[in-house]
Amino acid sequence: MKIVVCVKYVPDATGDRGFNDDGTTDRESVDSLLSELDEYAIEQALKIVESGVEAEITYLTVGPDDAKDALRKALAMGGDNAIHVNDDDIAGTDALGTSLILAKAIERAGFDLVICGMASTDASMGVVPAMLAERLGVPQVTYLDEVTVEGTTVKGGGTVKGRREGDVATELIEAALPAVVSVTDRTGEARYPSFKGIMAAKKKNVEALDLDDLGIESDQVGLSAAWSIVDTATKRPPRAKGEVVEDEGEGGVQLAGFLAAKKFI
Amino acid sequence: MHFEESDEHRALRAAVGAITDGFGPGYFAEHSRERRPTTELWQALGRHGYIGVNLPEEYGGGGGGLVELAIVCEEVAAHGCPLLLLLVSGAIAGEVLTRFGTAEQKSTWLPRLAAGRGKIVFAITEPEAGSNTHRLATTATRDGDGWLLRGTKQFISGVDEADAILVVAKTGTDPDSGRGRLSLFLVDAADPRLTATPLAIEGSAPERQFTLFFDDVPVSAEQLIGTEGDGLRQVFHGLNPERVTGAALGVGIARYALARAADYARTREVWGRPIGTHQAIAHPLAEAAIEVELAALMTARAAWLHDAGEAMAKAAGEAANMAKYAAAEAAIHAVDAAIQTHGGNGMSRDYGLVPLWGMARTLRIAPVSREMILNHVAQHTLGLPRSY
Ligand SMILES: Cc1cc2nc3c(=O)[nH]c(=O)nc-3n(C[C@H](O)[C@H](O)[C@H](O)COP(=O)(O)OP(=O)(O)OC[C@H]3O[C@@H](n4cnc5c(N)ncnc54)[C@H](O)[C@@H]3O)c2cc1C
Repeated sequence: MKIVVCVKYVPDATGDRGFNDDGTTDRESVDSLLSELDEYAIEQALKIVESGVEAEITYLTVGPDDAKDALRKALAMGGDNAIHVNDDDIAGTDALGTSLILAKAIERAGFDLVICGMASTDASMGVVPAMLAERLGVPQVTYLDEVTVEGTTVKGGGTVKGRREGDVATELIEAALPAVVSVTDRTGEARYPSFKGIMAAKKKNVEALDLDDLGIESDQVGLSAAWSIVDTATKRPPRAKGEVVEDEGEGGVQLAGFLAAKKFI
Repeated sequence: MHFEESDEHRALRAAVGAITDGFGPGYFAEHSRERRPTTELWQALGRHGYIGVNLPEEYGGGGGGLVELAIVCEEVAAHGCPLLLLLVSGAIAGEVLTRFGTAEQKSTWLPRLAAGRGKIVFAITEPEAGSNTHRLATTATRDGDGWLLRGTKQFISGVDEADAILVVAKTGTDPDSGRGRLSLFLVDAADPRLTATPLAIEGSAPERQFTLFFDDVPVSAEQLIGTEGDGLRQVFHGLNPERVTGAALGVGIARYALARAADYARTREVWGRPIGTHQAIAHPLAEAAIEVELAALMTARAAWLHDAGEAMAKAAGEAANMAKYAAAEAAIHAVDAAIQTHGGNGMSRDYGLVPLWGMARTLRIAPVSREMILNHVAQHTLGLPRSY
């Protein structure tokens, strides 16, 4: 079978991130990297293969030149090959446009299972997996804390099963393949690339595509075609100083009082 | 000529940095205070193939070279966890065994070293022979098919963590020069005829140093590395990598100290503005940053020359010495400036800078002293008369 993992190249979440004047993400002042939340998607794809499912893993990213770093890192963790969609006209594309580009690239590559992270660490909308499923016309199984694939054959078929942990219930969900899933950061820690993995990644194929290759017109994407626009952005206020309680025998009571005041107990 | 770091090397730095961050300076400080080996970090790096980057692939290594090992050494240190034993186990023992070991010695040892499951430490220094290796008094005397080792070694790092010790001993005397003929032996660290006594070394670090007494320790022909009597030439194939990784360690320590200092100088306000505004604080840090960058360049070049093989051996020796000199000086200046930047906090345990100063200061003495490097450069680079 064929697994496509969608990965995004994002400004480092530990850096001092911001926006440009036109409301798009500022990619200049902070170093970018593979979105941490997508590392969980990569890890799950690799686990599926390690569990005995025969599959080819392709990583897909839509992003500028440097986004190849995200693909290289993914390939160093494992997997087979990658697709990099890069076109000047893509700058400023929102989730809807991104899902169009991803869907076209996925259809072109062929797929049985698409795995996404639960959201990107920059825009954090978390809507791309659902949009992607809609565009591809396949089931979506999102926000999974656990994912497995069963019953696949060389001819295709099989099911993807998952567990979604909610506040009040645990849902066990499954869908016939082909399908789109998204996985959370509770699926289990992503592996570090090994030295052998890094060296092997060098030899793996990264296919470069532009909008023409995907049959997408430039007016279908980009900032001018975006349905969601960043209107204004305000810097998060600096964290307020915490309250320090000196324990003079009353520490426990004061702690309980604090928790009660905040309605934790 | 091009100086751009390859994608693979950048990925190598990122991965080693990320694994080290999983442990962090707090882990390192705690292990240093208790003089407890940083086994967990070593093994985590080993599992991902970073301890054995320079070892051949057929023995479970990464198939890289000293360039890659130096990067590992630098990055762990730059992320707050300088690992001294990479210099002896990875650089000296790894390079010497790969080059001179028999197929059997290699298949016994290299996979264990590569996976981070075993360590080999290195013993050359003696009470009467530090800078002057020609005065080595530890002897290996013929005894049937093997030898009996007798003598004292001093300052030997990591014996408590090691499976074996690569020992330099005298197996004869050159009749012309009167100098010792040296040979290399791989000795079981748990041999009952070997006594290891911990030395009290100031400056906290996870590794301990030992005085070793070899009381007629029997060694067999299988424990001889390379050719009998050719030990001095052979050991230099490991001493240059030790200097290069030592330099990388210095560069890493310096980068870490400068990053901490720059953070502090940006945020600490004394007269209503960050102390980094004052050139008295900023300039020493900037000077150190320049020295570190220069040392890093020389370290990379020395590693590259070593990897380029025999044809470059002479240039590699000179570059390794210069890199080690430059990195030790840069590290001392960087840590000292970082301590000064931190004011009183520079001396506090919480900020963990003083132990780094101890390490940087050690690098001016070991593995080869600043003075011996200057002697080498004066004599070999400048053609000045030998002074000793
Ligand atoms: C923390 C630590 C870990 C160590 N780990 C190991 C280890 O694992 N294995 C190992 O074998 N050794 C180890 N050493 C030993 C180290 O390599 C030696 O200390 C070093 O080589 C210097 O030798 P020495 O101490 O005998 O100094 P000496 O040779 O006695 O030198 C004393 C001083 O005189 C100077 N000097 C000597 N000759 C000259 C000259 N001709 N011209 C100018 N100045 C000169 C030296 O530069 C030095 O400043 C370690 C040392 C330390 C401190």
